[in-house]
Amino acid sequence: MTYFKKRNGKWKLTLRGKDARAGYLFILPFLIGFFGLFVSMLIKSISFSFSNMEVGADGYILTKAAKNGFEHYIRAFTIDPDFNLRLGKSIAKMCTTVPLILIFSFFAANILNQKFKGRAIARSIFFFPVILTSGIILGIEQSDLLLSSMNGEAMTSTEDLESMIGVTRFLTQYTSLPGEIIMYLSNAVTGIYDIVIASGVQILVFLAGLQSISPSLYEASNMEGATGWENFWKITFPMISPLILVNALYTIIDSFTSAGNEMMSSITSTIFTDVKYGYGSAMAWIYFIAIALILAVVGGIISKHVFYYD
Amino acid sequence: MEKTKRRKFRLKKQAPNRSLWGDGLMLLVLTICGAFMVLPLVYAICNALKPLEELFLFPPKFFVRNPNLNNFHDIFVLMSQSWVPFTRYIFNTVFITLVGTLGHLLVASLCAFALAKHRFPGRNIIFGIIVTALMFSSQVTAIPNYLIMSKLNWLDNYLSLIIPAIAAPLGLFLMKQFMEQIPNTLLEAARIDGAGEFTTFLKIGMPNVKPAWLTLIIFSFQDLWNMQGSNYIYSEELKTLPYALSQISSGGIARAGAASAVVVIMMSVPIIVFIISQSSIIETMASSGIKE
Repeated sequence: MTYFKKRNGKWKLTLRGKDARAGYLFILPFLIGFFGLFVSMLIKSISFSFSNMEVGADGYILTKAAKNGFEHYIRAFTIDPDFNLRLGKSIAKMCTTVPLILIFSFFAANILNQKFKGRAIARSIFFFPVILTSGIILGIEQSDLLLSSMNGEAMTSTEDLESMIGVTRFLTQYTSLPGEIIMYLSNAVTGIYDIVIASGVQILVFLAGLQSISPSLYEASNMEGATGWENFWKITFPMISPLILVNALYTIIDSFTSAGNEMMSSITSTIFTDVKYGYGSAMAWIYFIAIALILAVVGGIISKHVFYYD
Repeated sequence: MEKTKRRKFRLKKQAPNRSLWGDGLMLLVLTICGAFMVLPLVYAICNALKPLEELFLFPPKFFVRNPNLNNFHDIFVLMSQSWVPFTRYIFNTVFITLVGTLGHLLVASLCAFALAKHRFPGRNIIFGIIVTALMFSSQVTAIPNYLIMSKLNWLDNYLSLIIPAIAAPLGLFLMKQFMEQIPNTLLEAARIDGAGEFTTFLKIGMPNVKPAWLTLIIFSFQDLWNMQGSNYIYSEELKTLPYALSQISSGGIARAGAASAVVVIMMSVPIIVFIISQSSIIETMASSGIKE
């Protein structure tokens, strides 16, 4: 691993060194933007979380918070009654939805990748939710008469809930499946709309992945007499595995940071409505560290099984 | 002789390992899931065509009964009263979207190419930082971001919207995973033939991951097109189209008709971009024609 070598009394780049130099040059534009805009922002946010902020006419003044600056962190865990509950809820919700979203989007992408009539239309239909759930459109839909009355309906209607419970009871009585699995499945069925709506981006990523698998691989394996099942597990699955990693991480992050998340909205309201910037930042950082730990574990597990061609 | 001929013919005609039942089942699943997704769109279009009295019918109806284009007409009437010409808003959004998307594409794919195909110290650390950066949603970073923009004197400037979008981490992560799949032998062959590093990137790297960057364009376009930017932009002549249109819908219940027409206008453009980019995807040639 040498990047420099002395030749004719001068230090010259070796082949490996040249490769590294080209690498650095290529990532330079990104690094400038990233460190200039993003990292400095994070450092500011950390310093906010350790201090009390007072906003005056000519800017803001930071004073160190009590208990060596850890006041806000201690308060989140021990004093605030809702914080721990919300944190647990967010994590539990993530654990149930993420696997379902991944499986559904992979399945949908596989179907959409096949050749059939109206494929382009079918694909765009699956991308609509991403367009519909963004920005201004979401805001307007929320103020809509039909949708708001439908939400009220969903709150009060017990019929669906009862039939749901009936099915669950039937399953627990007449099958020998463990209760946790049944509860998981029945939650999945109730949340199917959310899952379908949340998987637009993932479907598209998987679709792009499927499209970049060379058809010659399938040709060769068909020539050797492989079945579709074997093709799927021996070619499609390994070739798509880097994108399973992308989608898993993206889905986890999306479920944690979407505007509808309870934790997110409580952070936002603490910062912007109650104007407690220090406490809000501390909450955000605890939340962030929790997400980072989950991501590290999940990412570590998946990337062990990821296959890179070459 | 004749028998074998016929058999070959049948094999060719029928796709391998696919049955009528399988196709039917797939179609069924697609239709059910597709219905979930297409319903909000149908509803939005219906709403835009409803006359005002139908919008406030109780109980609300899903489909429109007497469709007309009055709501769209209302937008133009409202917009012609605004202080800045309406085309200015359109220009602002189109400019920000195009520059931001192209910049993001270039920067993200350059960086992804280096991270995937070059070995240099600190590579894994940089990649790790990028993945963690995915975690910060815009709500958390709103205030620090504002402070930085004001320090840089970028407030009330296109730059405050374009530059952060260019350095967005999601596209980079996506491109990196795709670039990993390009066979090294292909790049080596190009280098041996005398291609420089940038030519290798442009002529070998990018064409091989075409589906990836078409997808990236869709994501970036979608984000920028809907960006209101109301935190950073104050001058009327720099405001974006979504911002201007959200001003219409904030007029309350009297503007409900125009607001539902706004929804249709805003979402039609990303849908068109999506269809164009999806139809230009063809299967790539990566890892074909290589003999190890």
